Amino acid sequence: MEKPIKSEPLATGLNQPNIHKTALFFKRLLQQKTLAFMCIPFVLWAFVFKYMPLWGWTMAFQKFKASRTFAEQEWVGWQHFQFLFSDNSFYRVLRNTIVMSSIKLVLGFVTAITLALLLNELKNIVFKRFVQTVSYLPHFISWVVASSIVLTVLSPDGIVNLLLTKLGILDNPVLWMSKGHYFWGILGATEVWKEVGWNTIIYLAAITAIDPSQYEAAEIDGANRLQRMLSITLPGLKPVIIILLIMNMGHILESGFEAQYLLGNGMNQDYSENLDIFVLKYGIGMGNFSLGTAAGIFKTVVSFFFLFSANYMAKRMGESRLF
Amino acid sequence: MAKSKTWMMALVVVAAMALGACGKAAEGTPSSSPGNGSGEDSISAQTGGETESNEPVTFTYYHFAPGKKDVLASETVIGKELQKQTGVDWKLEYVVGDSTTKAGVMIASGEYPDVISSSGEMSKLMDAEAYIPLDDLIEEHAPNIKRVYGPYFDKMRHTDGKIYTLPYTANQGEYIGGPNIGGGAFWIQRSVLKEFNYPEIKTLDEYFDFIKKYKEKYPKVDGMDTIGFVSLAGVANNFFTLQNPAMHLAGYPNDGSVIVDMETHEAKIVAGTEYQKRWIGKLNEINAEGLFDPESFTMNKDQYLAKLTSGRVLGYFNYAWQVGDATKNLLSAGIDEKRYAPLPIVFDKDIKDQYIDPPGFVANYGIGITTKAEDPVRIIKYFDNLLKEENQILVQWGIKDQTYSVDENGRFYFANDEQRKYHDDLELSRTFGFTYFVTDWPKYGGESTLSDGNAFSPGNQSEVASYSYTEGDKAILEAYGVKTFSELFNKPDPRPWFPSWSIALEQGSPEQIFATKSDDLQRKHLPTLILESPSKFEPAWEAYISELNKLDKETYEATITKAVQDRVAGKW
Amino acid sequence: MLALKKSRLRRRSLGDRLFDYGNIVFMIGLMIVTIYPFVNMIAVSFNDANDAVRGGIYLWPRLWTLDNYSYIFGESDIYHATLISFLRTVLGTIVSVFCTAMLAFTISRQEFVLRKAVTMFFVFTMYFSGGLIPTYLLIRDLGLINSFWVYIFPGIIGVFNMIVIRSFIEGLPDGILESARIDGAGEFTTFVRVVLPLTIPAMATVSLFVAVGQWNSWFDVFLYNSSNIKLSTLQYELMKILQTSTTAATASAGDIYQSQGGSGTSVTPTSIRATMTIIASVPILMVYPFVQRYFVQGMTLGGVKG
Repeated sequence: MEKPIKSEPLATGLNQPNIHKTALFFKRLLQQKTLAFMCIPFVLWAFVFKYMPLWGWTMAFQKFKASRTFAEQEWVGWQHFQFLFSDNSFYRVLRNTIVMSSIKLVLGFVTAITLALLLNELKNIVFKRFVQTVSYLPHFISWVVASSIVLTVLSPDGIVNLLLTKLGILDNPVLWMSKGHYFWGILGATEVWKEVGWNTIIYLAAITAIDPSQYEAAEIDGANRLQRMLSITLPGLKPVIIILLIMNMGHILESGFEAQYLLGNGMNQDYSENLDIFVLKYGIGMGNFSLGTAAGIFKTVVSFFFLFSANYMAKRMGESRLF
Repeated sequence: MAKSKTWMMALVVVAAMALGACGKAAEGTPSSSPGNGSGEDSISAQTGGETESNEPVTFTYYHFAPGKKDVLASETVIGKELQKQTGVDWKLEYVVGDSTTKAGVMIASGEYPDVISSSGEMSKLMDAEAYIPLDDLIEEHAPNIKRVYGPYFDKMRHTDGKIYTLPYTANQGEYIGGPNIGGGAFWIQRSVLKEFNYPEIKTLDEYFDFIKKYKEKYPKVDGMDTIGFVSLAGVANNFFTLQNPAMHLAGYPNDGSVIVDMETHEAKIVAGTEYQKRWIGKLNEINAEGLFDPESFTMNKDQYLAKLTSGRVLGYFNYAWQVGDATKNLLSAGIDEKRYAPLPIVFDKDIKDQYIDPPGFVANYGIGITTKAEDPVRIIKYFDNLLKEENQILVQWGIKDQTYSVDENGRFYFANDEQRKYHDDLELSRTFGFTYFVTDWPKYGGESTLSDGNAFSPGNQSEVASYSYTEGDKAILEAYGVKTFSELFNKPDPRPWFPSWSIALEQGSPEQIFATKSDDLQRKHLPTLILESPSKFEPAWEAYISELNKLDKETYEATITKAVQDRVAGKW
Repeated sequence: MLALKKSRLRRRSLGDRLFDYGNIVFMIGLMIVTIYPFVNMIAVSFNDANDAVRGGIYLWPRLWTLDNYSYIFGESDIYHATLISFLRTVLGTIVSVFCTAMLAFTISRQEFVLRKAVTMFFVFTMYFSGGLIPTYLLIRDLGLINSFWVYIFPGIIGVFNMIVIRSFIEGLPDGILESARIDGAGEFTTFVRVVLPLTIPAMATVSLFVAVGQWNSWFDVFLYNSSNIKLSTLQYELMKILQTSTTAATASAGDIYQSQGGSGTSVTPTSIRATMTIIASVPILMVYPFVQRYFVQGMTLGGVKG
């Protein structure tokens, strides 16, 4: 990403008087007033709809009761945070959250990008569109239904056990869902199956922006299919991939909720229970909105840390970045 | 381009029209809908003098449990009849989705409907002071409320001594239980009973012995392995199907997670007791014998129900209302041998089974008038009118000769399928109004008897039950020499505190956290204990107990014991 | 061009062909795995509800029936709800995509002095939330309760979508925007006349995201408009039907005097869920093929060059 030349004066203007700098800023803002008008209404919108409700964060420091007015709330300081961090299952839950969302992140990216590259290599347009459409169908299935299918497939008389025992890999059917250490893998595979087609869409859109003449040139140079994929398509997707990666790094504590809830059971709970389920059990489930808010603040802090780190790394590596 | 413009135009027109319609509809909805709490355009009569009139008015009703379609009361036969008597109509609304969220939002905004049926949200609503005290209103306007609830007033009082809500469990007249087992039992496939010529099965050992013998004789059903015993312990909110048998086997009713001593009234957590050890130990033993289905811990409810209907399962423990779909399917399939019969299994022969709930009083599910109601007098009068015996018959039995008949002895019964269908068929029950009025309004308790001796709820009327018994049912009943299934079970002993699960724990209190933690611990350990090889059961049990002892169970037990003793002393 | 194609055909190596076959086989495998849940749902939805409790229905109904569909379509409320769903989807998508694209355009301009500030201001909103109750109170104070507009206003800007469009605009070849501006066009005109047409694939993608989100959402109905049937949406009505059937299942077991021979309306949560999955998703599935028309490589650049 090339440096905007016009912002140079701002960057080098540090030793100039501040007044001059401010004046310059307003002068340029005035020049760009159409652009400003095109975004200020939305800034106001974001302020109202996104920032104003943030007063709700005060709940994390209260023993919040919905019936009381703000002035009547009882303040409890860091009590809810203490409950959160001092619970001996918290760190297990945090580990599960991070591991599951990392698996989701890595697998999600790799599979969606691979599928996009492979789809792009299909020559028959009708077939290509058909595959795309079919592959994104599971996205529209609710987790209740999807989890049911997973449980059926993995049950003792399900197809997986059937295949593995027929092939002689297993002697006896395995109760997959009862083995905690398989849970992350099962969840990752399920997520891929459900979302890969959907996640591919954005890359397919990005591929359209790649100049086809590059392929022709590469072909004349004698590059084979794989080389073309890796040296033209993939680099063409790089800016989008990096931007999405940075954004998703900020969601490191969002590992989903429904899937874990529906696939989790007592035997795998040491691996399946994540932060959201923990908050449901001890927060919302007990009518305690404060704990949920405290967890939300914690998540935001972690998100910002990862977001800024990722963005900084992208900047250092000279890649496109989020902001 | 031109084409897409036309399309856009059309769209805008449609949008404008539909929105216009919405706007109008919104204006036309009854005044006191939660949306415009100000209620300035209220049509209800506010002046005290006018409340005697039957001037038409529509109030709003909200129920914090899902499952019913929103409707105007007057669109149902029962609602229409009650409107004729009182002039009051209701806009009935039922929560869809998560009631906790909805309650939180409703409380925070203070936008209440006129009346709220609390379901599980009572403690939040009381906390929020959403309800008005009813004492004076009842005193002045409600003789029938006094008649029905009078004996229970002490149990209904809030800590400040006032009455805010009317519960649904105020039993009247002689207490009668249902002829069928609608609650918990150990169920056994009828083919097992038949195979061994309807033996007396009393203890857990006997129960599993018969299952074992049957399975040895018939190892396969339709080409699939026979399953001895199955539970539904994987799904979080069904774990009690694994927890509760311990207390039932020991001769206690479903009192939540505790058993309460009949003499000292001390509450003791079931988890970690000898009872639980014996129950889980037995499952461990039968698992080693291949009688237990390990999928009990991983499958979801759909799969569980599918198993129960497959004919492969010989026994299970559950509450009848949990397995309705399976029961219904087996019944309609018409193969009697594949259906199940309930048994009152206990640990030892000398234990008296207590599967059937004793008369209890649940005070924290009820209906109350909110602070936003414009005309509480009118509402309390509606409630009062509803509690007249003829109206209680109307909401339970319906209209004579249309939805029930009366024989020469004055007994109510269903003369034909048409009548039964009014109570049974989803759509008919809805349009008639049973769906809406049978419960969640001020009412007699479900186990009441009417003043003429008929059962208050049709389900408890023996004429109705015997009408629906199949040939297979009759064969079993005859073999055991009883007239109804509940006669196989012991009558419940009086437990004046029952049910202890209705004791409200403070939101987020150590007791509540203990309950969640101990459930978590059991969810993790009990399956492992059962699937462990019998030789390792003892050490695994020790490990479980040492984990359990780390939790603060004393506080929990003390709180429940205190509440139970208070209840016994008449302080609810 | 033709010559080039011919030479390509001739020079297709064995590896290339193997790759193609392998690719096709892989895609067929993928389709089998991903189409299965839908086929299964269709089979269950056309199967007798009571019979479906037994499980074991995979690709084809065992006891064929249309009852599940007639049960759902018999609910008179779902027709108006479908109209509202349709309206919120179409209007919500148009408004959101246009506004988001406009915002994305401003922050894609390297020289815009507010660029970084505005970008961060919006990006941050992805990572926090004031929570349910404050949001509800805000919506109430804005007078959006019991209003159609609560489906539109809170979702005007999708930040994720904003970033997607911005990346797309930034990826446009240098000089296009400059050349447009030299023609004397203002910023807004540039946006409408030049940027929008050039980013059609991105717009199509983002439209799909927004439309699917709008079509599937029910939580806002639940929170804000649940007491006004005229503003209910298809998803919400289907949820109601599902919950009714769930409750009916438990209720009917409690009162055992019922159900001799299982007469009455036989719906079960399982079959209703399958049927509603089909009913709710088929309309929105139609959107994707429409979007795919714009996924043609080089289309953007073709537009520039032509």
